[in-house]
Amino acid sequence: MKKIENSEEVVVIVGSGAGGGTMAYELTKAGIPCVLLEAGPHLTNEDYVNDEWEAFGQMAWLDGRATSGSWRVAKDFPDLPAWIVKAVGGTTTHWAGATPRFKDYEFKALSTYGKLEGASLLDWPISLEEMEPYYDKAEKALGSTHRHGRPPLPANNNYKVFANGAERVGYKFYATGPYATNAEPYDGRPASVQDGFNFQGDKQKSKWSTLVREIPRAIETGLCELRADSHAVQITHDSSGKADAVLYLDAEGNLHRQAAKVVCVAGNSIESPRLLLLSASSMFPDGLANSSGEVGCNYMRHLTGSMYARFEKPVHMYRGETMAGIIADEQPHNPSRGFVGGYYMETLALGPSFLASFVEPGAWGEDFTEMMDAYANTAGMWIVGEDMPQTSNRITLSDSSKDKWGLPVANVNYDDHANDVSMRTYAYEKAEALYKAAGAIGTHRTPPYPSTHNLGSLRMSELPKDGVLNRWGCAHDVKNLFVSDGSVMTTGGAANPTLTIVALAIRQAEYIAKSLNAGDL
Amino acid sequence: MPESTETNTEERKMLSEMLRVLYPHKSFGTEIYQKTAEAVIGASEASPAQKLTLQTGIRELGIAGFDKMDPREATNYLKSIEGNAFFAAVTGPGLVALYSNHDVWNLLGYEGASHHLGGYVNRGFDDLDWLPEPRITEYEETQKS
Repeated sequence: MKKIENSEEVVVIVGSGAGGGTMAYELTKAGIPCVLLEAGPHLTNEDYVNDEWEAFGQMAWLDGRATSGSWRVAKDFPDLPAWIVKAVGGTTTHWAGATPRFKDYEFKALSTYGKLEGASLLDWPISLEEMEPYYDKAEKALGSTHRHGRPPLPANNNYKVFANGAERVGYKFYATGPYATNAEPYDGRPASVQDGFNFQGDKQKSKWSTLVREIPRAIETGLCELRADSHAVQITHDSSGKADAVLYLDAEGNLHRQAAKVVCVAGNSIESPRLLLLSASSMFPDGLANSSGEVGCNYMRHLTGSMYARFEKPVHMYRGETMAGIIADEQPHNPSRGFVGGYYMETLALGPSFLASFVEPGAWGEDFTEMMDAYANTAGMWIVGEDMPQTSNRITLSDSSKDKWGLPVANVNYDDHANDVSMRTYAYEKAEALYKAAGAIGTHRTPPYPSTHNLGSLRMSELPKDGVLNRWGCAHDVKNLFVSDGSVMTTGGAANPTLTIVALAIRQAEYIAKSLNAGDL
Repeated sequence: MPESTETNTEERKMLSEMLRVLYPHKSFGTEIYQKTAEAVIGASEASPAQKLTLQTGIRELGIAGFDKMDPREATNYLKSIEGNAFFAAVTGPGLVALYSNHDVWNLLGYEGASHHLGGYVNRGFDDLDWLPEPRITEYEETQKS
């Protein structure tokens, strides 16, 4: 691996997940040297373990965080607002793999849905038309099934229940994808063996992640230095207000400085705004790039909710690809349902360890053990829909809680919007109807888990007063500061976000390469 | 020699009984709840404060005559202490230990780690036969073909 001097001004990328890992590959491919900082360790596929709690301890971001607001996660899991990964490859190493695109109107949420009391809806400064070529590239990179000649995955048991229920209630748009795991060998990686472990890291390497694709390829160019266990804590700037370095801590807490020509922040929608807030200075007293006051605001987490249904006969939902089952019939915007936006239904399975902790947090007694006793006969699905952006759903620096280095942790404040509550209630009813049509003898409405889709918080906006970033994900206030993760999303759509994060990163890398070559940055 | 401050056999039995009332599976034998009780005691060793919380709570169970209650009375008693620190000190580590026990997985019909066995691709990932085989392609694709 290339060694880059700390004094050499390069593109410094903070975070190695979907956004950061893609940036490193796309930029180095274009001949631009990069330092890729990753807060977590360099785990490999061989390190992963097929055990839910052990894998959680190995991979999850467990550094302190705080919560507030009326969402149930703040009560049940006050230190764990999000379930995301701290390791090379970021959360792409534990994502399930569903890759739907945003719809045209989801880029125009304000124009389509209209003004909604309490929601800070806005149109994206980009259209689907502009995104389409990048979606194509992203789908090819991820190897999405059902796209560009990639075959579908076969039906696993959980999907059989899900799809039969869908057919019986009259849904049409169900399939085993698009899903970023190989049904047959592709791109140098093998086919899935249906081992059932996704959230624990994929030992088989048949699932796309930046760990198996973009990061090794970036290193192969000879232009990328990956630094694991390197946790960014501040971005500094020169007297003109341009970013000039990233300060980061190694595993022992020693502080290092990497000089920067350009900084790309991709630390997830919680840590990215935290880093900008930690970078306040006399020129940027409210945090770097925060003249709008919007840094940290409009944090979104998708609607979410799960349904687990019990049947008279065995299902064994845990066998096979966890989320290789998607229903899109409820995805379109149809306000006659009593809410704006829409949602997907997607297959989901947990093992007994996680199901016990998450099916109904805090539950015990006979109603609870009845659900657990039915484990082998249980099918599961996840509901993922668009949640409304709200200014008060916000990442701030905690007043009271500090990390082990003495820095304030991120506080995640979240309240459901009335639209979110209406959509979730409606979605639970539809999920119950689906499973009953397939023969369910009991169903349970499982509340949202700690957030796996973390969006917004540094949103793109046409006007600098409405958001933090312009249409290229470049800060309105700092011309060489970019954000390259899901934080940039103006609104959340209903689609699982990884594909869109990768497509946006490919587009942004192209823009940065052009601008650097033209001497504009 | 000072009197022992370790949780004694009677207390361990009481804790094990509490776990059975919390998570009453007819198919689970006593040894499963005993093993879970050991995990709860182990977790309480993290600090003197946690150890005191657990031991005080177990003593309170004894004073209340928890071991002499019928299942309904026992459940109502646990409802009355739900939310206190002792209850949390039992249910937090107890829930994780109970449902991470491989004997429990066997009883519930979960097979655990699978990659070292070649996954489920040849071991029943699609063996559900009480429903028709569904379509796996997207709707539009079917219409075209």
